Amino acid sequence: MRLLALLLLLTAPARSASYYLTIAGLGGEPEYEQRFTSLAQEIDKLLKASSGGARVETLHGPAATKAKITEILNAFAKSATPQDSTTVILIGHGTFDNVDYKFNIPGPDLSAYDLGGLLDKIPGHQLVINTTSCSGGSVVALKKQGRALITATKAGSEKNATVFARYIAEALRDPAADADKNEAVSALEAYRYANEKTIRFYETQKRIATEHAQLEDTGKSEPVRDANTENGQGLLAARVTLLRLGSAQKAAATPEKRQLLEKKEALEQEIAKLKYQRAAMNSEQYRKQLTQMLLELAKVQAEIDK
Amino acid sequence: MRTTIPCRAANPGRGPAFQPGLLSLLITVHLWPLGLLAQSVTDCEAHKHHGRLAETQRCYQQLSNSRDLLQRAEGLWGLGLTQDANNAFRAAAAANPKSPEIKIRWGRFFLERWQKEDAAALFEEAMELKKDHPQALLGMALLASEGFEKKATEFAQKALEGDPKLVEAQALMAQLAVEDVNFDKARTEAEKALKISAESLEAMGVMAALDVLADKPNSPWFDKIAQINPVYAEGYAYVAHVLTINRRYLEAIEFFKKAIEKNPRYWPAHSEIGISYMRLAREKEARHHLELAYNNNHKDPETVNSLRLMDSYANFDNFKTPHGELRLHKKESALLKLYFEQELERAITTFEKKYKVKLKEGVRLEVYPDHEDFAVRTMGMPGLGALGVTFGYVVAMDSPSGRKPGTFHWASTLWHELSHVYALSATNHRVPRWFTEGLAVHEETAVAPDWGDRLDPHMLMAVKDKKLLPVAQLDRGFIRPSYPNQVIVSYFQGGRICDYINQKWGWQTLLDMLHSFADNRTTPEVIEKHLKLKPEEFDKEFLAWLDKQLATPLAKFEDWQKALKLLNNGAREAKADDALNKKVIEDGLKIRDWFPEYVEPGNVYEVVAEAYLKMGNKKSAAAELERYAKVGGRSPATLKKLADLQAEQGRPKDAIATLDKLNFIYPVADPDMHRKMGELCLTTNQLPMAIREFQAALASKPLDPASSYYQLALAYMKANRIADAKEQVINALEAAPGFKPAQKLLLELSSK
Repeated sequence: MRLLALLLLLTAPARSASYYLTIAGLGGEPEYEQRFTSLAQEIDKLLKASSGGARVETLHGPAATKAKITEILNAFAKSATPQDSTTVILIGHGTFDNVDYKFNIPGPDLSAYDLGGLLDKIPGHQLVINTTSCSGGSVVALKKQGRALITATKAGSEKNATVFARYIAEALRDPAADADKNEAVSALEAYRYANEKTIRFYETQKRIATEHAQLEDTGKSEPVRDANTENGQGLLAARVTLLRLGSAQKAAATPEKRQLLEKKEALEQEIAKLKYQRAAMNSEQYRKQLTQMLLELAKVQAEIDK
Repeated sequence: MRTTIPCRAANPGRGPAFQPGLLSLLITVHLWPLGLLAQSVTDCEAHKHHGRLAETQRCYQQLSNSRDLLQRAEGLWGLGLTQDANNAFRAAAAANPKSPEIKIRWGRFFLERWQKEDAAALFEEAMELKKDHPQALLGMALLASEGFEKKATEFAQKALEGDPKLVEAQALMAQLAVEDVNFDKARTEAEKALKISAESLEAMGVMAALDVLADKPNSPWFDKIAQINPVYAEGYAYVAHVLTINRRYLEAIEFFKKAIEKNPRYWPAHSEIGISYMRLAREKEARHHLELAYNNNHKDPETVNSLRLMDSYANFDNFKTPHGELRLHKKESALLKLYFEQELERAITTFEKKYKVKLKEGVRLEVYPDHEDFAVRTMGMPGLGALGVTFGYVVAMDSPSGRKPGTFHWASTLWHELSHVYALSATNHRVPRWFTEGLAVHEETAVAPDWGDRLDPHMLMAVKDKKLLPVAQLDRGFIRPSYPNQVIVSYFQGGRICDYINQKWGWQTLLDMLHSFADNRTTPEVIEKHLKLKPEEFDKEFLAWLDKQLATPLAKFEDWQKALKLLNNGAREAKADDALNKKVIEDGLKIRDWFPEYVEPGNVYEVVAEAYLKMGNKKSAAAELERYAKVGGRSPATLKKLADLQAEQGRPKDAIATLDKLNFIYPVADPDMHRKMGELCLTTNQLPMAIREFQAALASKPLDPASSYYQLALAYMKANRIADAKEQVINALEAAPGFKPAQKLLLELSSK
């Protein structure tokens, strides 16, 4: 029931502030340099366009130094509250020496422990999307309760350049990533989208996959490839909204429709509950109840949209 | 591979049959009491040769206790104690490193235990010690024969030059001629073997096989064999093997049964009959015999892999179709069923009319996503396609998911294999390889000109270098190729021959030829009867026709090759420079029709289209890519690009046609493509296709299932299938309860 309770939180309108820091590290060669920078710029644009009052910072090229990263994250720490969320996206090359992961940036590299220390000072829940090579090596240092962690590789030993970052960016612009159609792309949806696309990339190219993305958001377990209710992973990632689409926020901000919204939320919770009870139900009965609830929800939504 | 062919495994658990040649080999071993060794081994061989099983056992038992290492090895081998025998051979070889004979015997031991590399190494070492040692050459010939290599004949011939009395090599020459479908030569070679040794069981087996192939199943040679060795199962098993490679699978099973009746402990026959049953989808019988062989230590790759494949059947779904059955892997069955069932039925309906044959049984189509599983189906069979194989009414083929996108046209392969079903059925499996393959290749492009294999440089060069075989010998190109790519070239040649006959004499003539083959007539007889030409006259006319067909690519090939390289270099350098792109277009158009069928990477069509796009000329780019698609271009990315351009230019029906081509090439792992096609079908009101495409999108496990369910619901609603539409919109909302368009549709549907 704890899982259910957490899941039901997902339907609650978000009223917290969001902080984003996207960093493109050193490419090493012009092709990678350009690729990393353009991905960071694309993500920056998408986040700024969709997340009204959010604070969006992006670093690339010579500016992406450890000092600048420290400065921005310290600033986040000063203004963020426990209800807020902070997202850090790393794009580029990483290294792992069996002890510590390092993100390659101009000047001194940023280690996973450095980043963990900076994030520890920021209140609220956090999301780190580390899309670099060797990013699996950053898990131990970054894992913490209240922090969702997505890495492009399953271990520090996966050293090849990754394609995962490309699909994280794609998840932010492709409406298909919003699988539950709630007009917001959660970290979990973005992860699933990028992970699936990465798998298909290697399958279609008939290449041996050199990266295996994973997610950890309990702060106490091993990362998993497939986050689900059985392994208990993905609950926090589902709560972290990466991108808002359409009218979701506007609706939440309209006072006269509060009653309808509350009814809608109640119905959504009922539907979620019913879906969880499905395995124990007669399928015909389940389908009948589901149809009734969905129809009712559709009517309420139609009222809201009038 | 063919590790269990009876001709080699003539002595189960033991080496070659008794023969004077072997005796002379052993006598040359000078390090032991020669008389005793030769006498002892020869005695054992003689007992075995005459089917005196108890005496054979005792003889080997005695040998296995010998203090002499080679004798002990031979004895242990004879008793089937393979590990001990191997140790004894190793010790014998170490004690006598200069003896080629020990290496040869050890090599033969490995050959029998399916360790070909070890066997080859030992034969080569033996030949380093004694150049052109006949027994070593014979070992190499046997090895090569297992892979249907042309060198087998060369090695056997050379062995006979060194030792004209080497009856095993002579009998092998006869067996190789049988495989080459050169039956006159096979008979002559077998007669030579019988002159060397009137008791050559292998040669008698060849004579029996020739009779059976000529529809004389009660050959007197079986009695002659029985008079020498009443328990000689290998004779029947050899005949069964010959029938198998001639695609006469049901008859082969009857002869394997006879082999097992002769000697129920002849495990290679159990293995082979098990594989035969598996090929014919008689899985219970297959498993029984394969497990029997396996449990009695007959663990050759064919047996082991076949059992593994059968174990994997639990991962497959079986679907009944109107004319048969589909077996698809669970991971892709929902998707592939949408396309494979439709094509299977379409092909059967078409061929039933075209071949004027109604199949007696349903067709079973098996589709393997793992090429290794499919490969198990073709083990031990020469010249079979690398993509699909037909065993009577059973067709096995690669799944599109098992191949690199754009390299495999699965529908073309399906029609090719289905054509075999009809050709085999119409001739009671008596059609020669070249003709059934030729018909099958012809059928690929008869369905649609852009299907089938494109003319590639290998084929072109084979024509240019006059490497095509005379029609009367074309089967050899499939079975024992004499140069790389000859099998591919032979498929091409067979196909073009059928194209030519169809064009000049008409389809009915091809059918008449098929019926004559059913009467067991030879290729020269059939050509003369129906085309009124001697085979050599036909070859001349056909080659002249082909030369005319390929006149331009033949004349321009070298120039085209050089120009294409320059064109690609120019395209790389052109970037966004309009003048340079214009030059790329001009150069490309100049050489495009020199070799119009070339659609592989770097082809002119794509290069020119890209240049047009860089210049912003989308219309011309689309036109160029349409040419590419029309001649059989198969790159999924390029076809999708073309479909986008067509849709953008307000030609949704053309875009649908382009994407539908892709469905026959690589329909897997691409839910976006199916959704896009479904949307185009919705806009053009092609509702059944729209429904199929949204179903395909859902079966491809899309990242956004709610949208696909919703679109499927829309298609159903448009098709007035309200109940289905409601079901799908509920599915959409179950995945995404807040999905507004689906909510609106639900409200709309609920009011109906």
